[in-house]
Amino acid sequence: MFRYTKLTLLREIGLWALALLFLAPFYFLVTTALKPANELFTTSALAPPINPDFSNFVAVLSAKGNSNVLMGLVNSVIITAGSILGLVALGSVTGYVISRSTRRWSKAAYYLFLVAIILPGQLGAVPLYMGARSLGLTGSAWGLIILYTGMLLPLSIFLYSNFFRGLGTDYEEAATIDGASKSQIFSKVVFPMMAPATGTVTIFAGLIVWNDFFTSLIFLGGSANQTLPVAMYYYIGSLVSEWNSIFAIVIVSMIPILALFLFAQKRFIQGFSGGLKG
Amino acid sequence: MTATMQPQMEAAKAPRRGRRAPGAGVTTRSRGRGLEFGHWWWALPGIALVFAIHYVATGVGGFFAFTNWTGIGAFKVTGWVNFEAIFKDPTKVGALSNTLFLAFGSVLLGNIAGLVIALGLNRVIKTRYVLRTLFFMPVVLSPLATAYIWKYIFDFDGPLNAFLTAIGAGDQAKPWLADPQWAIWTVLVVLVWSSTGFAMVIFMAGLAGVPVEVEEAAAIDGANLWQRFRNVTLPAIRPAVAIATTLGIVQGLRVFDPIMALTGGGPAGATETLATQVYKQAFALGNFGGGAALALVLAAIILFFAVIQQRLTRSNPED
Amino acid sequence: MTQHRRSSRLKAAAFAIPTIAALALTGCSASAGGSDSSGGSKEFSLSFATSNTIESPFQVLAEKYMEANPDVKITFNPQPNDSYDQTLRTQLQAGNASDIVVTSPGSGQGRSILPLAEAGFLEPLDDTAKELLPEGSAGTFGPDGRVFGQATAITVSALVTNEGAVKEAGEFPADFEALEEQCKTLESSGKSLFALAGAAPPNTGLTAMSLAASRVYAQDPKWNDKRAAKEVTFAGSEGWKSALEAVNTLKDAGCFQKGAAGAGFDAITKGLASGTALAGFIPATSWKQLQSATAGSEFGVRALPAEEGSGKDFLYASANYAFSINAASKNKEAAKAFLAWAAEPEQTKAFAEIDGALPVSGLDSYDFEGGAYKNVGDLIKDGKYGPLPNIQWPNSAVYDALATGVQGIITGQKTPDQVLQAMDAAWG
Repeated sequence: MFRYTKLTLLREIGLWALALLFLAPFYFLVTTALKPANELFTTSALAPPINPDFSNFVAVLSAKGNSNVLMGLVNSVIITAGSILGLVALGSVTGYVISRSTRRWSKAAYYLFLVAIILPGQLGAVPLYMGARSLGLTGSAWGLIILYTGMLLPLSIFLYSNFFRGLGTDYEEAATIDGASKSQIFSKVVFPMMAPATGTVTIFAGLIVWNDFFTSLIFLGGSANQTLPVAMYYYIGSLVSEWNSIFAIVIVSMIPILALFLFAQKRFIQGFSGGLKG
Repeated sequence: MTATMQPQMEAAKAPRRGRRAPGAGVTTRSRGRGLEFGHWWWALPGIALVFAIHYVATGVGGFFAFTNWTGIGAFKVTGWVNFEAIFKDPTKVGALSNTLFLAFGSVLLGNIAGLVIALGLNRVIKTRYVLRTLFFMPVVLSPLATAYIWKYIFDFDGPLNAFLTAIGAGDQAKPWLADPQWAIWTVLVVLVWSSTGFAMVIFMAGLAGVPVEVEEAAAIDGANLWQRFRNVTLPAIRPAVAIATTLGIVQGLRVFDPIMALTGGGPAGATETLATQVYKQAFALGNFGGGAALALVLAAIILFFAVIQQRLTRSNPED
Repeated sequence: MTQHRRSSRLKAAAFAIPTIAALALTGCSASAGGSDSSGGSKEFSLSFATSNTIESPFQVLAEKYMEANPDVKITFNPQPNDSYDQTLRTQLQAGNASDIVVTSPGSGQGRSILPLAEAGFLEPLDDTAKELLPEGSAGTFGPDGRVFGQATAITVSALVTNEGAVKEAGEFPADFEALEEQCKTLESSGKSLFALAGAAPPNTGLTAMSLAASRVYAQDPKWNDKRAAKEVTFAGSEGWKSALEAVNTLKDAGCFQKGAAGAGFDAITKGLASGTALAGFIPATSWKQLQSATAGSEFGVRALPAEEGSGKDFLYASANYAFSINAASKNKEAAKAFLAWAAEPEQTKAFAEIDGALPVSGLDSYDFEGGAYKNVGDLIKDGKYGPLPNIQWPNSAVYDALATGVQGIITGQKTPDQVLQAMDAAWG
């Protein structure tokens, strides 16, 4: 029935046209980043570079001090990976328990997490900083990982528990009958089945943590552990309207997260369909 | 908060092995089985962390809504004074209408665009995975990066005005982000651009769940495209619509980064929203109490729309 | 290349807006200071605002100190300018601010001395700092006759001009009417007299204050005191009204570059460096940055011409930055030793040079001839200057109302009366 017809071809061409229009900003991003400084003002904003070169990228990657992009890249990877680990570990376990429990508190806990998504985060910033400071969590990657885990945990739990609600208990019952312990059931039976949800949480949290600027500016401020967005900010702060250099660092900063998306997108989409079919 | 958390009793009665029973609710899932999975205390670390980071910190911050604290030094508890000031301030009405315009405008346009693209990509398109990735790319960009790109595009010497001049419409060139009429539309464009890919992914996921046989049967029965969409596709992706719109509205109502980055609320307040006002009052202008009060008002507004959204979803007869 | 603070402010502001973006998640800021990393009394930390990789003048000065005293170790805590105020306040509140922090006199900003001192976060300073107080500014460096900040340099706030472009255009206008004429001539040749960053509030605010110099503060240097005593209001002031109406006059005369309403600070740098604009309302210290970035051009500082025949030429020159000591510091002795060193005439002179500013001490004997300040030397010698007005305003909301209001005047959203009323409302 749904064969590839001429109409489908037209649809495909139309979609490509739309995609190209949609990605026009990326055209400017890339062409401008490849323009040498002297072409920035002499060529039209619409035109591609006459002599494209990668000197802007070289400059970005070799920046030192506050705007050490490579250092920032490493720190961002550590902090993003750590936060994702924390969110997957805590989120899956918590989501599992509160959606499997029939006790009244589990429903209360579920709403506790839901409302936390709506709470205005700005209000908590000052108390949070003081608390983190007294616990010695400022200035280290560890502190930031804990902070991001806490900040995004409601979202993670929300995604996981929706997933569990749609998941039948048959496998768990079978494993119980086979004599598996509760933690074995979770780690060997349940967790592998949650791969789609894990993919969703990974992308979601990965995007937010990777791109977040201000939390790391505050909590890592003054330390040598600056993240990529902060390094980007410092780097761009020394440029005035050098869009070519600015866009070079924008491209550098988006490549890793784009790679993560390409890697996890199948899971991500499954995760959503999992949550949605349920 | 979303469709998926609704107890949907009739569907939950027949959970299928290894597949998600649609909308199994808390109360129905393991009723009568007498089995508990996992230890309840496994949830404690998560609860404690969320409680400390979200509730205690926000609570302490929220307390200042009832004080005249400037952000530093001593303060007095002033009761509801900050809230009265908000409701008396005419500029807050403008910020509220901008907030609603941007939230609902971006949700509506972003979801329609996302749905159209998802429908277009659905079934037999050969390059659908490439296209899906391309349409999703804006979502990946950080707000900071998105703002840099669009500031350049809307710049007076930027590509948009260069394009207008090139097609002979140079008299339409303007400083877009500082134009009192156009600034809010430019913000809307950026919001839609960066959220469409997200809606698309959600809808594609929803569409993937529509059984191909049903669609084919409808097509064989002579249903036209619109009828097939209306009667087969739409009911099936309703949960997707619910999750996309709810997340969109909650995010849209407190959207802050793109506006701050693009226009800073300008020109002269034309793109000011409640969220940018919260920031300015609490942190830039030394009126932490007033900003905290406004943040609570904003949270109440978000809660209001989230609950409405939930009611709308629940009352849907097709469910 | 020597970087100095005001031009980094300038650059900072150009990118300030995107920066604030991520505030959605947490809102406020702070960074780990070095106050608890001490131990030895020869160690201390220093916080200052910057937004770029190039060294700030404060850092250059502190490095000179370390060179002169090899046993001293200074930890630098540079913070982006647009988040500096919040960072400073949060850190002081949390008790981990740097030992020495850069503050501003008065009460008009987040980093202003008066509210910080009243909240008990700053350490009172001794007579050395008192001696450096610029004339008539005692009240802005601390309450009750005490001093909580040591002035670093005198910053002129007037016009920075591309002298080459000025010569090419003929002569710099001597009065406001001639200025309007020149705007029209320049506009027809595709240039503009001023480069304006209409979307950057610090610039629109400074523009309006510069227009108010001859119209308000020249005849009434104590206007702010009268406003504080509620004897006058912005909305009721003819001078302020005429200053804001002059924004419209300048706009209608084509004094600003095309697209000025939406421009950022880069438009000023670009316009002045390329000579397509003759002047910008930016802190005078920017001349140095521009000069070192633009080979072969000469930049200078000029006052905005007053109305014809009024003889009210006036500019702003004041200490806009100060060193303060954190009251919770554990290294006060080391911090005080640094302040005493920085107060030596040799050091104040060196700092002014690094910064492109005027020295905080010895202004009477300063040689204006031949320098960037040659065109404003007479005004300063004649005492025709006052402090930047917003230093004395009670909070940052007043300046914010002015700055965003001026953008509204340029885009036609606001009338001068509405802006002035908003300023009165913000004064509280």
